[in-house]
Amino acid sequence: MGLNYYQIKKNVLRARKLVIKATNNAGSGHPGGSFSMAELLGCLFYKHLRYDSKNPEWDDRDRLILSKGHAAPGLFSNMAIAGYFPESELDTLRKFGSKLQGHPDLKCPGVEFCGGSLGTGLSYSIGVALAAKIDGKNHHVYTIMGDGESDEGQVWEAAMTAAKYQVDNLTAFLDRNFIQQDSYTEKIMPLDKKLDGDDISEMWKDASRWKTGDKWRSFGWNVIEIDGHRIEQIDAAITKANSIKGIPSIIIARTIKGKGVEHMEDNPQWHGKAPDSDVFPIINLELDSQFMIAPSIIAGDMTNLENEVKRCVTGRADYIHLDVMDGQFVSTKTFDHIKIKELRSLTIIPFDSHLMINDPVKHVRDYVEAGSDIITVHVEVCDESSFGEIHDFLKQNQIGVGLAINPDTELPEWSYKFIPAIDQLIVMSVVPGKSGQKYIEETHGKMNRLNTILNEHKFSGFIEADGGVTLDNIGSCFIDGARSFVGGSAIIGKQDVRSAIRDFRNQILKTKRKILLDKANELGGSELVKKWIGLHVVGEKQEQIKKIAEEAGYL
Amino acid sequence: MNPPIMTDMRSEYSKILIELGRENPNIVVLGADTTDSLKTSGFGKVFPNRFFNVGIAEANLVSLSAGLASSGKISFASTYAIFLPGRAVDQIRNGIAYPSPANKKGLNVKLVVSHGGLSVGPDGGSHQQIEDIAIMRAIPNFRVFIPADTFAVSKLTRLMANEYGPFYMRMTRSNTPVVHSESQDFQIGKGITVRDGSDCTIVACGITVRMALEAAESLQQEGISCRVLDMFSIKPIDAELLEKAARETGCIITCEEHNILGGMGSAVAESVSERYPVPIKRIGAQDMFGESARDNEISLLLEKHGITSFNMIKQVKEIRSRKL
Repeated sequence: MGLNYYQIKKNVLRARKLVIKATNNAGSGHPGGSFSMAELLGCLFYKHLRYDSKNPEWDDRDRLILSKGHAAPGLFSNMAIAGYFPESELDTLRKFGSKLQGHPDLKCPGVEFCGGSLGTGLSYSIGVALAAKIDGKNHHVYTIMGDGESDEGQVWEAAMTAAKYQVDNLTAFLDRNFIQQDSYTEKIMPLDKKLDGDDISEMWKDASRWKTGDKWRSFGWNVIEIDGHRIEQIDAAITKANSIKGIPSIIIARTIKGKGVEHMEDNPQWHGKAPDSDVFPIINLELDSQFMIAPSIIAGDMTNLENEVKRCVTGRADYIHLDVMDGQFVSTKTFDHIKIKELRSLTIIPFDSHLMINDPVKHVRDYVEAGSDIITVHVEVCDESSFGEIHDFLKQNQIGVGLAINPDTELPEWSYKFIPAIDQLIVMSVVPGKSGQKYIEETHGKMNRLNTILNEHKFSGFIEADGGVTLDNIGSCFIDGARSFVGGSAIIGKQDVRSAIRDFRNQILKTKRKILLDKANELGGSELVKKWIGLHVVGEKQEQIKKIAEEAGYL
Repeated sequence: MNPPIMTDMRSEYSKILIELGRENPNIVVLGADTTDSLKTSGFGKVFPNRFFNVGIAEANLVSLSAGLASSGKISFASTYAIFLPGRAVDQIRNGIAYPSPANKKGLNVKLVVSHGGLSVGPDGGSHQQIEDIAIMRAIPNFRVFIPADTFAVSKLTRLMANEYGPFYMRMTRSNTPVVHSESQDFQIGKGITVRDGSDCTIVACGITVRMALEAAESLQQEGISCRVLDMFSIKPIDAELLEKAARETGCIITCEEHNILGGMGSAVAESVSERYPVPIKRIGAQDMFGESARDNEISLLLEKHGITSFNMIKQVKEIRSRKL
């Protein structure tokens, strides 16, 4: 089974957009804490949690208990996507007569717990887990707590109780976003170390400050600490936690409050406030602007791919692009599924296997079994029938479905019916076969044509730019609509992969900020531009965005 | 009256829990480091996997009970009165009482406490819970009992196990006089006429039922016929029985070891004033706290708050002159 990476990504994005829509509509609510736990919920709802949205009372369902109940919009959005109720019902959030109350409420079938009076959910979850043990049932209890919530003494009463009763059919999550209602957690009530001053980055920079895990360990818990926005880390942590017997497990997920919307990120103001209607479309555009960086390891040392994989992981790539070439479809030969299987054992980072091979339908099973999370095949060697077979097989195995086209190929008409289901479209901007080539400028025009077709056929996946992507052209690729970027020699060719990736991200960030300013200017002229800039109060963002606006003549 | 036979409510409660545990595998019992005192540890010895002692952590106790109940268990959670409504009302409200489409009455949790009221004695005013009835009565879906003797404890414990939904039952620390017989029937929302009379009604609960009977006996000798009701079911309250008493006797005294604000007397006054207003006098703690009193001084403490047969007699005589 694959990670279900793209399906989770897509649903997480959809859920974030629903949160913004619902809270904007309600005029209040808690987007910040909904966004920090967005990936946690994504991994639960679309990978691990067993439920039947048409039968919410199903006896053997896993129980998801949202103790940090103020993040109700996040829960409700995922419940809508999962089919508990129509998405349109989210428009009733917080309104009179709605089952979608301001905090999770049992009025809404499928909600397990009245969360939000903080600190009570873990105790309740232990009760649920103990009942399952008495009855010999094997469903699992997942409990999501906040870090501000950990100020409540009852959390620690429950922590002791779970250890005493060896509650191992429960997995707790701590959404460690470092912010509570008044300010940063480390100012209000430190879980790690008291913060002097206002620089939240102080809490991030230095892992030796982090003491929260020690607290839980000393209470007798199995502690797993992860980056709470990385799907593969969440997935692996859940799998690990569920396999540990005899003691309870907690996953401490370091997250960013407001993640996904720059002005909300790390900003305590967005704990419990809804976005205004005039910036709502800009925020939506921003959410659509999330992107990924995927180094291609064949640009590195082919004799030591293990090391290249490690460099990508420590360099904080989103996933790794694996160019499989068979010497037939392209003249070069790289490696095949056997090598991928070897590399798989080194890391949990998602593998994006780009199969530049003949007859992919014959080989796709090997690449699934080797541990790919995304598999992309070329239209040039597929037809409707073989791609249909590949598509079904990949979906069954929770693998992202990718389709690639060479520079001189257009999307064939047979592929149109698959467009809504495709997770990734690779638009090659070099002739495949070797790394280090120059970006083919005509690709921009081709992207324009493609976007029309993709829009018409309701494409909801990610476009991957692959070939000759550099700092100079990455911005224009982003404007073309690419949301994932394969970096060959421009990343792997560099000594310091981490800083190369950071440069890529910063370059895209600049472009993204400009696009959002364009939108603000289009919708509301300089007034809205000023308002948009004014929302960015944390760190140096405001000055940087202001500069872009001045250069664009919007101020 | 004959000298009272004194029995222990906690022993009775524990005995019935074990019987219930044998009859129903879904019964679970929880405590918070008072399980020897409450005698619920006896259940734990017989059914170790259905017994949970969460330590001195009452909020945790309540939420855990709710979690178990949400998965089909019948949770009996017990500790001292002062530590449950007095400490964990948020967990009680949102965790237990809150309804869902599947459980419209809230969750199947029975909060059974001991050491209610002023008669806790030596532990002092800080440990004498005289607000619990007011708190628990105000929470939707909760039903509230104060048993007068061990027969009541026995019957009501069984009744709660068989009736879905949240209950609060407050027991007394000290041994209590037997006022009922073994054949006495107990129903939710039905008070018991323990003595009939026509000139006045005394509504009592818990330890004040025996006092009321003694007062009525004395008044009888003076030619005053006094009705006595055991209003063990404070919520829901028996509005019909109270209306009948108001119509037939014309005045009502209430007496309880609880603050007169929000307690059983308030519940009686609310009901009577809406259905058939007659003069009412509430006896109980006059909006003030209790204080320490050794076991042989508890009667002095109660006397200080007017919770005596003597005061009931006095109040009956006064209120009769105010009859409409």
